[in-house]
Amino acid sequence: MRSVLCFGDSNTYGQMPGRGPLERFARDARWSGVLQRELGPKWQVIEEGLSGRTTVHDDPIEGAHKNGRSYLKPCLQSHATLDLVIIMLGTNDLKARFGQPASEVAMGMGCLVYDIRELAPGPGGTVPEIMIVAPPPMLEDIKEWRSIFAGAYEKSHQLALEFEIMADSLGVHFFNAGSVCRCDPADGFHIGAEAHESLGVALAQEVDAIGWVDQER
Amino acid sequence: MPDMRFAPPNPLRIADRASGLNAPSVRSYNERLVLSLLLQNEGTTRLEIGEKTGLSAQTVSVIVRSLEQEGLVAKGEAQRGRVGPPTIPMMLNPEGAFSVGVSFGAWSADVVVIDFVGGVRFHKAHAYAELHPTATEAPLQAAIEAAVEVVPAHLRDRIAGIGLAVPDEATIGDDLMRLVGRDLPSAQARIESALGLPVFMQNDITAAASGESLFGVARSLSDFVFFYLGARLHSRLILNHQIYNGKAGASSDVGLSNLADALAELGMTFRPLNEWPDLTGTAKPVYDAWRLRARTRIRSSVEALLDFVRVQSIVLSTYAPLAVAELLRAEIAEMLPGIDVQLGRGMISPKAWGAASLPYHSRFMVQ
Repeated sequence: MRSVLCFGDSNTYGQMPGRGPLERFARDARWSGVLQRELGPKWQVIEEGLSGRTTVHDDPIEGAHKNGRSYLKPCLQSHATLDLVIIMLGTNDLKARFGQPASEVAMGMGCLVYDIRELAPGPGGTVPEIMIVAPPPMLEDIKEWRSIFAGAYEKSHQLALEFEIMADSLGVHFFNAGSVCRCDPADGFHIGAEAHESLGVALAQEVDAIGWVDQER
Repeated sequence: MPDMRFAPPNPLRIADRASGLNAPSVRSYNERLVLSLLLQNEGTTRLEIGEKTGLSAQTVSVIVRSLEQEGLVAKGEAQRGRVGPPTIPMMLNPEGAFSVGVSFGAWSADVVVIDFVGGVRFHKAHAYAELHPTATEAPLQAAIEAAVEVVPAHLRDRIAGIGLAVPDEATIGDDLMRLVGRDLPSAQARIESALGLPVFMQNDITAAASGESLFGVARSLSDFVFFYLGARLHSRLILNHQIYNGKAGASSDVGLSNLADALAELGMTFRPLNEWPDLTGTAKPVYDAWRLRARTRIRSSVEALLDFVRVQSIVLSTYAPLAVAELLRAEIAEMLPGIDVQLGRGMISPKAWGAASLPYHSRFMVQ
């Protein structure tokens, strides 16, 4: 049995676009659920999605618990042994309150990679495979979120390149979610049911493409 | 001092987002390793790449992704397994690179353009008379320029270079001398500067063998005997992908010249290049006798060789018409039981086709 941790924000939690905070897609409709279905019973997919999660910032408004960096270590340790860690974050770092350019958000992702390596929660204390996933870019119309995400639209389109440069530099896997899905027009930055499905299917292929030595086909 | 772990990212290789090929110098050894593997295998998973190269899964992932963005590598068709998501093999993108090959044969100078997987996109045989340079014209350059027009304009910066298949010094004829001059290196430099492409040279028979070894019928063979049946019969021995030849210029007069001479005695003149006469009528005994001479020569070479090494495959490469080549192949196979005899892939113009593989070796493969 192999295990993969999906570490993300509201788009991993399965927040329905343009709906209330507790309205969530069903387990098997969320991308991590689709991933589980596609990978089959030889894999255990662990979902860790928190709405508002940033890469490395305590959120002065939403709270310190939104900081992905401080939660990552206990989270990894709780779920070890892990064969693969998928991180899809970055959108919340683009909130105006953090004032970060896309390159800094990528640096934040880099920190998380370092933390995973330091903790080495892989089999036998090794470093697991790590995959950085760039979230799909925002749409132009983000409704009442306009001021919270002021300036984020352009930056969200730069995340994929900055994340990929970071992934190349650190030598980890990378996938651009924007290549297979788009945000939903209902709020412009959450992904809908169809997007969850295509992202889950695409990531399953990416996970498989990594190549797992004892994999039985 | 800042914590250097958090210095700005310094990618192993930032995926090239511009179109066109990266400068040869930036292509790393590991990238070449992956490309070499893909040139030799039709479809390979990243797991297999990792196993064969010893690179980590994450390094393979970074390299494959960057080669994919550069357009050199593409995802193949998904293979569905028993469980889990379909496996997607990686393969070379045929349009990822192109290359030009030029050979100088007994009757013509051939120009071919091939794609990244060895597919022939263009071929033309030029009579030497068409190519003689004058004070104002350089027809060979013009012929190469005309050939590369087959590559769509937006892909022309993907032409990796030009390979020249050069005959042995002993057999360099007056035609080639008139074409490129007495001094090959300066001819090489001249073509390089005129066309703005790197030019590579190799012995023509070796080039033909190397093409078969790289992306021809011998791709999966580490050992084979290569026969080139042109005007004369030439041979090469390939052991562990290394090409060996005998004494320089060694060849036997049982090739197409020999057939042409024999037919000339019957009053039938032909140039093996194009118009082949009817070989079923009065010419049949001469044709049969020539094939016997050719295959007997091949058998004695192979039998002598078998005293020293155990090779199981023969590749016969010739631009003779397919019916002639196939008959000869079948007859050789019959004479040498237990040995697999195949026709080459680059038969349209074996030496030029092989020469076109030279730029790929130099720019994309581990040496």
